[in-house]
Amino acid sequence: MNISAPDSAVQAYPLADGLSQAKGLTGAVMVVGGGIAGMQAALDLADQGFKVYLVETKSAIGGKMAQLDKTFPTNDCAMCTISPKLVEAGRHPNIQIMTDTEVRAVRGQAGNFTVTLHHAPRYVDISKCIACGDCAKVCPQVKPDEFNFGLVHRHAIYQPFPQAIPAAYVLDMDTCLGNNPRACGKCIEACEKHCIDLDATDHDVEFTVGTIVIATGMESFDPLGMTEYGYGRMKNVITAMEFERLASSGGPTGGDIRRFSDGRRPKSIAFIQCVGSRCEGPGNSYCGNICCMNTIKDSLLLKDHWPEIDVTVYYIDLRAFGKGFEEMLKRSRQLGVRYIRGIPGEVEENEDQSLTLHVENTETGLVEQHQTDMVVLATGVQPRAEAYDLNKLLSLQLHPEGFLLEAHPKLQPVDSPVRGIFYAGCAEGPKDIKETVTQASAAAGRATRLMSQGEIAADPYTVEVDQDRCKACGLCLKVCPYGAFEWEKGAKAKPLEALCAGCGTCAAECRFEAITPHQFSDAQLMAQVEASLARDPEQKAVVFACNWCSYAAADTAGVSRFQYPANQVLIRTMCSGRVDEKFILRAFELGAPIVLVSGCHFVDCHYIDANRQTVKRVEKLWDKLESWGIRPERLQLEWISSAQGQRFQKSMEWLDKLRREVTPREIAQTKRILKQKLHPPKPKKQADRKGVTANA
Amino acid sequence: MPEDKARFKCLRCGAEFELPYTPGKVEERECPECESNSVRRIKEPTQSKSG
Repeated sequence: MNISAPDSAVQAYPLADGLSQAKGLTGAVMVVGGGIAGMQAALDLADQGFKVYLVETKSAIGGKMAQLDKTFPTNDCAMCTISPKLVEAGRHPNIQIMTDTEVRAVRGQAGNFTVTLHHAPRYVDISKCIACGDCAKVCPQVKPDEFNFGLVHRHAIYQPFPQAIPAAYVLDMDTCLGNNPRACGKCIEACEKHCIDLDATDHDVEFTVGTIVIATGMESFDPLGMTEYGYGRMKNVITAMEFERLASSGGPTGGDIRRFSDGRRPKSIAFIQCVGSRCEGPGNSYCGNICCMNTIKDSLLLKDHWPEIDVTVYYIDLRAFGKGFEEMLKRSRQLGVRYIRGIPGEVEENEDQSLTLHVENTETGLVEQHQTDMVVLATGVQPRAEAYDLNKLLSLQLHPEGFLLEAHPKLQPVDSPVRGIFYAGCAEGPKDIKETVTQASAAAGRATRLMSQGEIAADPYTVEVDQDRCKACGLCLKVCPYGAFEWEKGAKAKPLEALCAGCGTCAAECRFEAITPHQFSDAQLMAQVEASLARDPEQKAVVFACNWCSYAAADTAGVSRFQYPANQVLIRTMCSGRVDEKFILRAFELGAPIVLVSGCHFVDCHYIDANRQTVKRVEKLWDKLESWGIRPERLQLEWISSAQGQRFQKSMEWLDKLRREVTPREIAQTKRILKQKLHPPKPKKQADRKGVTANA
Repeated sequence: MPEDKARFKCLRCGAEFELPYTPGKVEERECPECESNSVRRIKEPTQSKSG
């Protein structure tokens, strides 16, 4: 006997609706984050003629790269590399730089996102300011300079860094003596261009863009919590980023490495790797990706400038995996840098403010004490808080490490799960500058691909909400992995077509049958169930297979010539999350001995985590079946990836074994139970029960 | 949420076994005997508070 799925598909075909609809789109892009990733994406998009809004929360673009001294593996000057990009972005006619601005709300869908931005006052008109610095010269207020990690001070009115774009000053009102009442006002008197406005206020702006690129970057791990290293207590323990500012010719010491305790050049420097990376305790469990190479680069810089400085690197293992990286490591060793395998357990400060490191050398197995003049902590990388906020605003997903989760780790590495939103740089995961720039250009390319058509084809696999049936419970929004519904308490749900990926989980969960997924409606799927079981239902096993994995696994089994019993009827859904309880119960009601719900393994789910909802539903249904006197074993659940042809074969063999264990008597009893439970007889009218008719 | 262990039953081969379990957390579970995912938690009978 051979029962084919097409029989049932034929029944569903007349119920299919139209495929896709084209819609107009906005040829503008919002790039969130003005670091190297954001600038590269913005420039690529702007060069292709798209209007780009480059949004940055700080007062200047440039990001972390602007704070670096040199970059690996070429050891070229970071500022020399980034400055032309800063200027180009600042002057590009298609780029509007919006500093001191944060994203407050995003509505709409791919092609037409309406974004609301909050612009904090800068108090300096950037169109007039020529960055002469006369204002700062007279400003009496100072505070530690953030750009230089507090190694020097800045005034209340200041330029973030000399090459900053916009090339204008900014007033830090929290440090200023204040405007209400005005306590000072010396900057206003000094400014010949009259560009300072202490009465400036914050405001919101709103515009529409077709796509969004998220390039919010990363933060360095703060080692204050790792007390064993003494950071914050011992003056000569510094972070790798502070070392960058010391080493930079534009930094507070003009590029000369000096100890903070006494201002003298250290005779020995120790680098401790993996600070806040690969940790079980405080810190992050993952590898920071860039710290090893950054230290090797710093060691070369030290040996190039001051060969007499004794440099030691303490490490777990060295990760020099990129092009030209191993050569750098070899060169560093050749120049006399000592590499000791072992991370110091403690750093002690001596009377002369030199430092003693207690370390277990894992190559010798000995616990050793090493004295050094300065310690540099190679701090790890972690996601910026801004990414968390955007994640909530845009219904994105986070990796357990806190970085933004891509739509697919291999095939869509710069796409977010939400159509029209792309990732660039460290927001997606720790990476070096080369990889960041590559990803930024890729994100720009993906955004261009979407916008260059002039119109956007809506995915045919979206849903429709019957407003009359919707009871405004909000469950659809709760279970949707994409948050693809507009819903407020008490209001009826409205689907957001472009956010919807078409898994159909909402439709399976809606208790009021108010949601209809296009192409996979209740009517279509029910027609397939009924057609499949129209003849000899007791001989068949009904298999609901998700499009991406289980259904593809059946193909794999087929092309691999894996033999299995041929009495399964396969019903395809886009996701196992679409398999409504009523399809399963209908199959049992029609006499199916066994039903299998199958989908992707958790890590492979093509709809973020929609198959978790499948598990919840199947577990509830097991309970329900049992309480009704139907064996829960007759409902099976399997995760089968598209490559697992043999697993599919094995599942089908098991399914047939379980099918043969279901007796005709059990099937008949199930039918009776379900008839009672699903179609209970309508209660007679009260009047009838009393034997009195309405007319009487 | 503390992670505990609970007893599970495979609805395919009937094997019973213990697996880590956190209430409310949905996890991909597999029967150690037959590798099926039809793994159902064996719920403890509700204990009466009286007497």
